[in-house]
Amino acid sequence: MTIHELKELLLKEIGRCRACRFCVDVCPTYQTSQGVETFSSFGRLQSLRSLLMGTLTLEDSISYALYSCLQCKRCEVICKSKGQNLDICALIQKGRTLVSQRLVEGVGHERI
Amino acid sequence: MEMKLKELAADLARFTGEEHVFTDRPAAMVYARDVMPYDLEDYNIPYAVVRPGDATEISAILRYANEKQLPVHIHGSGTSLVGLARPKTNGIILDTGRLQAIHVFPERGYFEAGAGTHLAKIRKALAPHHAMLPIFPGSELVATLGGAVAVNTSAHAVDAALGKPGDYVLGLEVVLPTGEILQTGTESPRKPAGIEATKFLVGSEGLLCILTKIRMRLVPMPQSIPIVAYYSKTEDILGTVMGMYRQGIFPPMFFEYLDEKAAKVGFEAVGLSTPAGAVAMMSVHSWSMAGAEAQASEFLAFLKTQPIMEAKIVEDKEEWEKIWSSRAEAGNYVYRLGYTFGSEITPRVDKLKEAYQDAKSVVLNLKSYKNPEFYSFGHIGAPTIHAYAFIPTKDIPNDVKRAIVKEMREKTEEINIRYGGCGGEWGLTAQRISFLKKRYDPAYYELLVKIKNVVDPNNILNRGNLEGWV
Repeated sequence: MTIHELKELLLKEIGRCRACRFCVDVCPTYQTSQGVETFSSFGRLQSLRSLLMGTLTLEDSISYALYSCLQCKRCEVICKSKGQNLDICALIQKGRTLVSQRLVEGVGHERI
Repeated sequence: MEMKLKELAADLARFTGEEHVFTDRPAAMVYARDVMPYDLEDYNIPYAVVRPGDATEISAILRYANEKQLPVHIHGSGTSLVGLARPKTNGIILDTGRLQAIHVFPERGYFEAGAGTHLAKIRKALAPHHAMLPIFPGSELVATLGGAVAVNTSAHAVDAALGKPGDYVLGLEVVLPTGEILQTGTESPRKPAGIEATKFLVGSEGLLCILTKIRMRLVPMPQSIPIVAYYSKTEDILGTVMGMYRQGIFPPMFFEYLDEKAAKVGFEAVGLSTPAGAVAMMSVHSWSMAGAEAQASEFLAFLKTQPIMEAKIVEDKEEWEKIWSSRAEAGNYVYRLGYTFGSEITPRVDKLKEAYQDAKSVVLNLKSYKNPEFYSFGHIGAPTIHAYAFIPTKDIPNDVKRAIVKEMREKTEEINIRYGGCGGEWGLTAQRISFLKKRYDPAYYELLVKIKNVVDPNNILNRGNLEGWV
């Protein structure tokens, strides 16, 4: 898969999230942060989408949010039963790949 | 306005501690995002998110916001379906997520919970006390008590059987937009009679105050008996609801329906055989099993006077779980496979059939998008008609989505006006100022603005919601 295809795939898949936020409360990093939405699966997907759309530029807070995901898949259980049935952890993992390879547009990427 | 974010962050950190202040743009965008199908724009991306821990901190933030003329948008969990949770202007998002304490006082007959507490957590905390939380949104895993009381919605429940949250709220702790902290109401199970602040702060949608703590009566957990009824067509379910009210039959606490198409996709999703037509599912409640049985028996007898194909009490728990969850699965279907544009129509009950036909016609003759599919399911016993325009693709441009939202809103508002309704589940004010102006005398809207101006002279709280917004 080319980088362009990967970005398109991510945009399409994350675009299916309808922001119901049902996944938020089961996320362990959301819970340990006393409910900071940026550190939930919902927050990670939305930040990644904004990054890919160019609405956000890459900054440390996005990297931190993406890499703080424990890949536990609890969010996926909720998304499957009540949401859009997204493979959230795989999407976050792909987002990490883009970020770590400095393949995301943005003025701040050199800080990684 | 040029905003100095470092300065703002430092100022807010004085009130809450710096770990509870975020001025990075990703955080601002995550908090401001909601289910409205189009993206945020520069004019409504917040400068900062602040997460206060109590009423005192909120008071300090609001005094500061007044001094700086900075709008403050209240964030519960952001699950509003109609844009109430989305900021309408740049400003500060005030997240109530740290207001999480739950205290149950069985000896006093009430519980108290922080406004940011998720409903599912409160339901769990009440269960050992055999008490029921009288609020039932589909989003209860994450929806907050503050949000539900601020909108005064019992969501899926039938008002005529259960009432609204405000009927159970005994008192509040609130912070006024100008920073004063108020305690309202009573600690007695006896609600105050006459003029009393709790009554007009419940349901004020964050325009008049920030709710910080809510005291609600403990409602004994009722016994329930489920009933399912199969109809050849949706119109016959509407006739049953009309007959129920006309004949003065005590309504079930839940009375849901799936139209023909929704029943098909919902039942197939849970592994039940496809019904021949539309389906109604009801749950009758009473404070004793004997009472519930008697009520179920009477309701079943009433149903058998209706043009049903079959109606029965569902004894098999597993079967009922499938039937009940078929409604959520119908929702999953339309939301997963495309874009779905909803509406909330609550007509005079004797006009239910006309309102339904009008709603169907609005969807099928939509101008902003040709040939959408019509689905309808929801809380028909309330009565609420949710008419959905389902478009089986995710590939719709932002401006078209915005146009569909606007057309659906305006045309279903007309149905509510035509048949005497006003909505009763969603916090609609942000979207329906034009509706209020058409539905009531101009003095009605002017009164709301006057009240807002008195309580919030700088228009700090939820700015834009009372001004009207797409």
